[in-house]
Amino acid sequence: MEAGALSTPVLRARRNRKDRIGDPLLRGLSGLAAAVAVAAILGISYEVTKIASPAISRFGLGFLTVNDWNPVTERFGAAPFLYGTVVTAGIALLLAAPLSIAISVYLTELAPQRLRRPVATLVDMLAAIPTVILGLWGILVLGPFMRDTIEPALKSAFGFLPIFSGDPSAFGYLTAALILTIMITPIITSVTREVFETVPGELKEGFYALGATRWEMVRRVVLPYSRAGIVGGAMLGLGRAIGEAIAVAQVIGGAYGIHASLFHTGGTLAAQIAAQFQGAPNQLQRSSLAYLGLILLVFAVIVNVIARVIVRRGGLEEAEFTPTEAEAL
Amino acid sequence: MTKRLLSVGLALALAILVAACGSSSGESSGGSGSPLIGAGSTLVAPLMSKWQSDYASKTEATVTYGAIGSGGGIDQITSRTVDFGASDAPLSEEQFEEANAKGEVEQIPWALSGTVPAYNVSGAPENLKLSGEVLAGIYLGEITSWDDPAIAKLNPGAGLPNTKITPVYRSDGSGDTYAFTNYLSTISPEFKSKVGTSTQVKFPTGVGAEKNDGVSAAITQTDGAIGYVGLAYALQNELSMPLVENSAGEFPEPGVKSVEAAADAVSKIGPNNEISLAELPSSAAGAYPISTYTYVIAPLESDKAEALKKFIAYAIGAGQEFGPDLDFAPLPKQVVAAGKKAIGKIGS
Amino acid sequence: MEHALYAQSGGLRRRRRVNRAVELTSTVAAVLAVAVLLLVVGSVLLKGLGALSIHFLTTPTALFGEEGGGISNAIIGTAIVVALAAAMAIPVGLLVAIYTTEFAPPRIGNPVRFVLDVLNGVPTIVTGIFVYGLLVAGRQQSGYAAAVALAIIMLPIVARTAQEVLALVPATLKEAAHALGIAHWRTTMRVTLPTAAGGLLTGALVAVARVAGETAPLILLCSIFAPGNLTDPREGLATIPIFIFQASESPSPTAHTEAWAAALVLIAFVLVLNLVARAFYARSRQRMEG
Repeated sequence: MEAGALSTPVLRARRNRKDRIGDPLLRGLSGLAAAVAVAAILGISYEVTKIASPAISRFGLGFLTVNDWNPVTERFGAAPFLYGTVVTAGIALLLAAPLSIAISVYLTELAPQRLRRPVATLVDMLAAIPTVILGLWGILVLGPFMRDTIEPALKSAFGFLPIFSGDPSAFGYLTAALILTIMITPIITSVTREVFETVPGELKEGFYALGATRWEMVRRVVLPYSRAGIVGGAMLGLGRAIGEAIAVAQVIGGAYGIHASLFHTGGTLAAQIAAQFQGAPNQLQRSSLAYLGLILLVFAVIVNVIARVIVRRGGLEEAEFTPTEAEAL
Repeated sequence: MTKRLLSVGLALALAILVAACGSSSGESSGGSGSPLIGAGSTLVAPLMSKWQSDYASKTEATVTYGAIGSGGGIDQITSRTVDFGASDAPLSEEQFEEANAKGEVEQIPWALSGTVPAYNVSGAPENLKLSGEVLAGIYLGEITSWDDPAIAKLNPGAGLPNTKITPVYRSDGSGDTYAFTNYLSTISPEFKSKVGTSTQVKFPTGVGAEKNDGVSAAITQTDGAIGYVGLAYALQNELSMPLVENSAGEFPEPGVKSVEAAADAVSKIGPNNEISLAELPSSAAGAYPISTYTYVIAPLESDKAEALKKFIAYAIGAGQEFGPDLDFAPLPKQVVAAGKKAIGKIGS
Repeated sequence: MEHALYAQSGGLRRRRRVNRAVELTSTVAAVLAVAVLLLVVGSVLLKGLGALSIHFLTTPTALFGEEGGGISNAIIGTAIVVALAAAMAIPVGLLVAIYTTEFAPPRIGNPVRFVLDVLNGVPTIVTGIFVYGLLVAGRQQSGYAAAVALAIIMLPIVARTAQEVLALVPATLKEAAHALGIAHWRTTMRVTLPTAAGGLLTGALVAVARVAGETAPLILLCSIFAPGNLTDPREGLATIPIFIFQASESPSPTAHTEAWAAALVLIAFVLVLNLVARAFYARSRQRMEG
């Protein structure tokens, strides 16, 4: 048969053998593929739980609150890594969300028409950088800069606060949080920008007609209208930040314990797994690492699902879709 | 245009796949049969590299090695994900039990080197003198600054800067950690009870880094840092090494000679071929106090038994000639003899 | 109504100042984002270009302590692992998309979409643990294991974009084919897919670009390899992300320069793929809306 839409010259009213097989075959194959996708997610949950089960039966739910990771006494707990994950991802979100909103405002309201596409593309390119390269940049460029410039400045200005006490260090919570910020800003920006572009022009013009300034219009029209999209996008970014193992492992310093100072080295759920899984010296430790993985899985999936529900509810058109979202979403 | 691109892409992907599958069925680059796969100690990695290339040129057999740390080596051989494991830390009873679950394994010492402290302190003298007690105090967080009186006492007259000490340790499962903590636990009962001896311990203070490379990097990037690395790494990366006091009260220079002296002072070989060099008699002159053997862990029964026997025999035999250039001391005769006996048990 | 009073409200100068401040902040934010991108890519370019040479690209990695190595085995390894992953993920992803857009009733289609979304949110290190338990524990690390993990990561991306694009194929085309009595499967293969081809290519390219730089699963599945093994995926293979990761943790400046150079190769590949994907996406949108 020829390819192309309407080039079949003959009415094919009679179905031949090929057609009798073809339809069920395609239906069956594609259904099988869908089953594979479902099997994948079930398999992941099952396998990770299986590897973690020695640790789960030994430590139970208390694992989540134990602040210890001692291979010699065989006492393991997730608390320091939960803390590190929350701190680094939280700070990243705190910094990235306003930044993304500001960038989106620029891209949808302020930028001259010819600049919009190129600048948007450039911001999206930031999302495409492999995280191991961001980590490399973090180790060799950002880290020393934090240790020699930023952290001492923060310390001298705000050193009375516990989070800025302690010695400046190239590696630590703050450096990791900044790398994560760079990573998730394009994701949040992409979604936010999409939503901003769906705000009906009449609403905006109406506000201008009333004499509002651009900022007032944005504040009263665009932002409230886009609330769902912004929150959804922020949650997507959060999910990404929680799950990032490599770049964080490279710059967070691999220390144990819970530390108040942001300059201090620490660990996150994902980074700890990346650092120790392969070299775990015994079953219990490997199983504890898998337990960390299970916690991480639950955490990340919940955040992602909430994000999607909010985004879909917020009425983002399914068809408005750029390649960056294809990776993020 | 799209279709053309698609077909080009498809052709490219197919070509790559054919290359991949084609090689699967054939031999991989000169090896007869599949390669011997090992993983573990980063301490022995430099020597292992030499063994890999020399062995391949002599026998056409390929040896794959992943330097993931001694802890990882023990774990991978226990789950038989590799054909042999390499570890500076001898297996504990528990670890033997777990490893033997899939068939008996044995460990054979196949190289001899040391774990050395390395420091980076601007303003401090070269060849700073330190003792086991001082090192224990540093890693316990009790000695926190380079001008501490305990350090000054060992280095009279030296101008020590006020810099804060940052102890660096291995965050992964490491034979160097084992050797270092073994030594510190022998010297300091407080260290033994608070931290203990293992391939991975919880240090009360300091910065963790992965593998010998990571620790070396952390030391060079932090002023005031001190860490412990395999001897070959310290010399290769030109790290400043302090002189550590040994049981005879001397401060020998770390290197092949002092490691050899330590090995010669200990004749006891344990039932599983483990040899501890942490407790040296005070008569051991010029012995380096943190020397360590490193072991290969191999299953007695496996389908790679023949290949294993040949390779391990090579390692403790002809392979030793590469040692001194990489700062590994030659194995003492009785250790080689014990090794040969152990090799005989493989595959029998 | 407070809004009606804008034009008359006092403090116009203050409102204008606030507005200008916000506009300035937004512009600064955008400049900052672009600046960071340029900083990172610029660092890679500046520091990596020096080590980049034909020799570097065609020589395998050096052994410990030796100089003059390169990344040829890493490039080949990445190519093989990614090609294997794509061979698995693209057909399956496409089929899933066909299923949800052509065959499945909403009560099955929606849960499947949901499952894809969940799969997309799984942290890649956890995917690594899964494939480790499945394929590596008790056996050995291998290129195949790495490919399976990458395929799982690619699957939702391919499926998602394919779904979007397939849904955009004008219903009139499909209806016309149906009216002519053409079987469903023929319509899909000969009408729907070719029309959507550009967008499908986009999804495939984006997914490939995403996993080419993916490191986390590789650490658990494919980081132990023989220097001599260039192409056998049953054993471990060298890969570019692992090379960069290990070199980044090394103390030697040579290793750092080599890391930058490898990063340059990887970034070039990923960015080019992304730009090509976008171009295709724009074109396929035009075709279908025009």
